[in-house]
Amino acid sequence: MENILIIARRDLRALFNSPVAYVVLGGTMLLLGVIFFVIPHSNVFGEPVGGFWDIDHATMDQMFTYIPPLLSVFVVPAVTMRSLAAEKGSGTLELLITMPVRDSDVILGKYVAACSIVLVLIAATLLYPIAMFVFPWHLGSLDWGPVWAGYLGCVLFTCAAVGIGLMFSSLTESDVVAFFLTTGTFVLLYVMGAIASIFHGGVFSDAVDFISLQSRYRSFARGLIDTRAIIYFVSVAIVCLLVSSRSLESRKWS
Amino acid sequence: MSNDVMIYANDLTKNFGTFRALDKIHFEVSRGEIVGFLGPNGAGKSTTMRILTCFISPTSGTVRVNGHDVFDASLQVRESLGYLPQRAPLYLEMSVLEYLRFAAELRHLDRDAFRKRATSVVEVCGLAQVLGKEIRHLSHGYRQRVGLAQALIHDPPILILDEPTSDLDPNEKAEFLDYLKQIGKERTVMLSTHNLAEVEASCARAIIVSRGRIVADGPLDEIRGKSGRVRYVVAIQESVVATPYRGRGVPPKKGDVQTALQALAGVKKLDELPTDERAHAYELVSDRDVDLRPEVFRLVADKGWVLLELHRDAQTLEDVFRSLTIGDERRNRRLGADDGDGQDEDDEGENDEDDSDVARAGRASVQPAKAASDDRS
Repeated sequence: MENILIIARRDLRALFNSPVAYVVLGGTMLLLGVIFFVIPHSNVFGEPVGGFWDIDHATMDQMFTYIPPLLSVFVVPAVTMRSLAAEKGSGTLELLITMPVRDSDVILGKYVAACSIVLVLIAATLLYPIAMFVFPWHLGSLDWGPVWAGYLGCVLFTCAAVGIGLMFSSLTESDVVAFFLTTGTFVLLYVMGAIASIFHGGVFSDAVDFISLQSRYRSFARGLIDTRAIIYFVSVAIVCLLVSSRSLESRKWS
Repeated sequence: MSNDVMIYANDLTKNFGTFRALDKIHFEVSRGEIVGFLGPNGAGKSTTMRILTCFISPTSGTVRVNGHDVFDASLQVRESLGYLPQRAPLYLEMSVLEYLRFAAELRHLDRDAFRKRATSVVEVCGLAQVLGKEIRHLSHGYRQRVGLAQALIHDPPILILDEPTSDLDPNEKAEFLDYLKQIGKERTVMLSTHNLAEVEASCARAIIVSRGRIVADGPLDEIRGKSGRVRYVVAIQESVVATPYRGRGVPPKKGDVQTALQALAGVKKLDELPTDERAHAYELVSDRDVDLRPEVFRLVADKGWVLLELHRDAQTLEDVFRSLTIGDERRNRRLGADDGDGQDEDDEGENDEDDSDVARAGRASVQPAKAASDDRS
């Protein structure tokens, strides 16, 4: 346990000592703001509604709809590509692994660090509802229930997404490859959601829909806490961590 | 296995796919020894070290470090050693002090212990000037020192250093070897290199590997002396320049000298040495138990030539290294290509039928390996 925290702390320090953390945090916040207020989009039921000002309704729906795609194409791959792939490439992993630490400590340490930075980002987005509905502006009375449900969804989504990123990071020695594999997988998982919605029912649609990250996440964005989705996200995270750990171990036998 | 054996490897084999990187090697290193692990690039030095440090696992064989098995007690193994991988891969964005603290934390040193150890390590490795600097701004020499410092931070009984001097300039090398002598007084140190001068400067014992096998293992003197070969240099006057010719008739032609020397009993190898016009010079190699000098003298006297030079020297470590590690190319390291050669190995190398020079040289050298295999049985 102690080792996990030591490794995580080192990783976080490295991230915050480099521009990566600031570029990712700042860039995401900015993009999220633009998308939220300016870009017209559809609500969770697929009806076109326009930007925040056009809805005439005190809701944070749009933000929760757009956090996961932003996280998955931009933030999570950028954070996780460094975790293992870059360390393998530069050889520092050899020095880390030959310290008296378990392979699982290394994986969990990297996972905790990557999750922490994404969660910092998610926590930062709390500034939006607070600034709009609490202080300094009062644009209406916000129903906080769905907001907390949305945040729970974001946290769970992060756990799964960072797991996926870490897994790809453990499978390759190049951070660029890790980045694109991760992004590619998320795009695929999103496209699956879209494919499912084309079929309108049927076993195939249900199956595809079940795998899609997006459809699992949707209920949270709507303010529903779906236990099946919780189990889904947690399972994805656990499976990915197991695969990462195996992949790290496989160096011994190659 | 006595308590003083700090590193024990028996029948150690490692395959990478179909490539055999290590082929049933056996060695032991005792407490307080500084052992040079020598071999050409790709001989299996780094592979061996990575197995000892639990970075990779052997395909078969037993490895114990400080009495702990690398399979069953890999954490204890790693606790008892300090490791500097090739090219010292460090976190470049950390400062030297941060890095040392990180290494100390993972080694579970508390604050006081860290302060004490860091002071001594920084002094030994000469890092006081750069403690606050980021590692990315340091020269290779300093990075190597930081790598050594992190390996020493927990005062390990065993140090494993993979080509620690490869990136250093000659001054840094000399300094580094001095450090090594200092810190090696009460530790077991295994360092790999392909620089023989370093081994001669800092190690009492060498293990020479070539193509995944140990070809020599023993004290340097014995490796040097018992390599099985002795070298002679013979120079015969070729033409008359300033001095009158003291020989019979005319000075000999190059071909005559070469043929005659080649024909001497006991000559294993003959090479021409570069000289000016005054002499024909040759290097002869014979087995240890033969002395060629009387033969050379008799030949020269009978022919009436003029002998300008004749001397015999035991081989330098460099020669031994070359003779042991070159000429082994024909052995096929692909798996499944284990021919009769492989069978020899099964007999713990005690079978003398293998006629390759390499095998003979290896066997003639001291083999604590043998004593150990007796212990085991």
